[in-house]
Amino acid sequence: MEVLINLAIIGILRGSTYILMALGLGMIFGVMNIPNFAHGELYMLGAYFGYLGYVVLGLNPIFSIIFAFFAAFIVGGLLEIIFFRQLRKRSIAGKWIMNCFLLTLGISILIQHIVQYIFGYRYLGISAFWPGRTLILGIIRVSNDRLMGFIIAVVAVILFQLFLKFTKTGRAIQAVSNDEVGAEIVGVNLKIIYTLTFAIGAGLAAIAGSSLLAINAAHPLMGLSPLFKSWIVIILVGMGSIGPIFFGGLIVGILETVSYSYFGAGWQNVISLVVIILLLIFKPEGIFGKKGVRGIWEQ
Amino acid sequence: MNISKNLIKKTGFNFSPLALLVIVLFLLFPLIYGDGYILRIIITSLIIAVLGMGFDFSSGYINIVNFGYAAFMGLGAYTSGILTTRLGLSPWITVFAAILFSGGVGFFLGLLTLRLRGIFAACMAWFLALVVYSLAVNWVGLTRGSSGLIVPRLFGTPSNIPFYYLLIFIGIISYIILNKIINSQIGDAFLAIGQDLEAAHASGVDSTRFKIINFTISCAIAGLVGWFYAHYFRILTPEVTHTRQTVEILAVSYIGGRGSLWGSFVAALIVLPLLEILRPIQELRFILYGLLLAAVMIYYPGGMAYLIKDIASRFRTVKTKLSF
Repeated sequence: MEVLINLAIIGILRGSTYILMALGLGMIFGVMNIPNFAHGELYMLGAYFGYLGYVVLGLNPIFSIIFAFFAAFIVGGLLEIIFFRQLRKRSIAGKWIMNCFLLTLGISILIQHIVQYIFGYRYLGISAFWPGRTLILGIIRVSNDRLMGFIIAVVAVILFQLFLKFTKTGRAIQAVSNDEVGAEIVGVNLKIIYTLTFAIGAGLAAIAGSSLLAINAAHPLMGLSPLFKSWIVIILVGMGSIGPIFFGGLIVGILETVSYSYFGAGWQNVISLVVIILLLIFKPEGIFGKKGVRGIWEQ
Repeated sequence: MNISKNLIKKTGFNFSPLALLVIVLFLLFPLIYGDGYILRIIITSLIIAVLGMGFDFSSGYINIVNFGYAAFMGLGAYTSGILTTRLGLSPWITVFAAILFSGGVGFFLGLLTLRLRGIFAACMAWFLALVVYSLAVNWVGLTRGSSGLIVPRLFGTPSNIPFYYLLIFIGIISYIILNKIINSQIGDAFLAIGQDLEAAHASGVDSTRFKIINFTISCAIAGLVGWFYAHYFRILTPEVTHTRQTVEILAVSYIGGRGSLWGSFVAALIVLPLLEILRPIQELRFILYGLLLAAVMIYYPGGMAYLIKDIASRFRTVKTKLSF
């Protein structure tokens, strides 16, 4: 029993990364219909910006994470303006999603190699933002960074939720996600909302990347694994509201920890895929398949 | 004349004069240049080109991006590699196993995922590829993991030339088969599905069935190329199935031009050797590569195939003007 609780705690702590990633991914897909396969690269940029803030600029941990958020926010906004806005002008209706998918792959190659060009092919890490370990529930000791990563993720999710609910811009984003044409009729400036959405999504990914810098050192190719795990979250729970994504992230985190401890390193992908395939066969509408959650099926 | 035209139509051997000229030049190339480094680069590029064509068969016609395409090549390669090393079978027999296994896995994946919205079907293929990669790394008893599986070579000579001709043969045969399918009734159904899924449904096309047929064939081609890959390079590592490999195939296929089949040959034979030539500028060449891919996506989604068609049609209008 104690082992299971241990695994659950570690899994939940790990899952926070995927929540932040999947949230941005789901929002960008929901609002702009972009399946962002460069999301892992934004996570990677977050780690590099966190490193720059903490080591090069000498900021304190919280400020270096905030620095990473804003730096990635700017990069995300620029990417939207340079690439997606141009594509939107030219894309044919019906081909948009696939075109975007390919464009994000191009962007992913681009970011990876620009980073590799600047920083080289080595790991840039730190020993810890917050050295030491904490005892949780009197059972298990986890590193402070892991714990703070989780707390920061939860705070970011709550702030993001408040932003969506209680600010005019946040409501406009939700409106565009629900009904693009309707939102435009009532005077929402779509261009600004698109840029902002992508920028915020990038920022959320950067928070995930920077807050775990001590655990996952910055490296040009580090984005692949968080990228596909956040896609797994999306496939598991659909991409409607925050609640399902939150649980989806925790489920993927726990699944990963459990398969890691029972089957050994390297097998967690196999287990995750088997679970998804079983889910597709037996519960094709997804775990939280209900109204208001956009599913993954054609009709 | 008429009979020969019919024959050409029946076999699907409808190459344009320009394409025939290029093929002949490629066939003559080793006779002039001989064996060596450049031939090796051309073979590597041609491997990606044939894969790009197989990939395009799905993405360009039914609008399903098989984002795990490298894994299907890897499955073919490992199937043949394991059968030849464990059971001592000849590679000329295991080629069928490679095609069948890749096609079979493609069939079951298609059965399971092709009713999903396009992007999620792509995701599922991607997850499968990640699993194949994990298996190739971790199932050391079968695949020898990252240290690599040593496989017998197809021809007992160190020369690249027989491989080169075999690969050209594979490329041409695959093209003829795929082209023949595209120009048949099944191909019309593919096009209908790719252009407007809803409309295809409305006019009674059983889209899932045709998608599965298409997907299976496309994966089988990957298995065939994987077989060649294994017995040409002699060493198989899990890297064959990596997402990076898929992205390379995909980039070549899209820069070449969607829905053209032959476009990826043009792209692969221009872009990949160019990357090789640009080796001195290191990382910068990949930055340029990423920019090229993004630029093609935004400004010229038809790719090189449309560029060539465009030039050809302009050339033709000039000719007709001159004949007046």
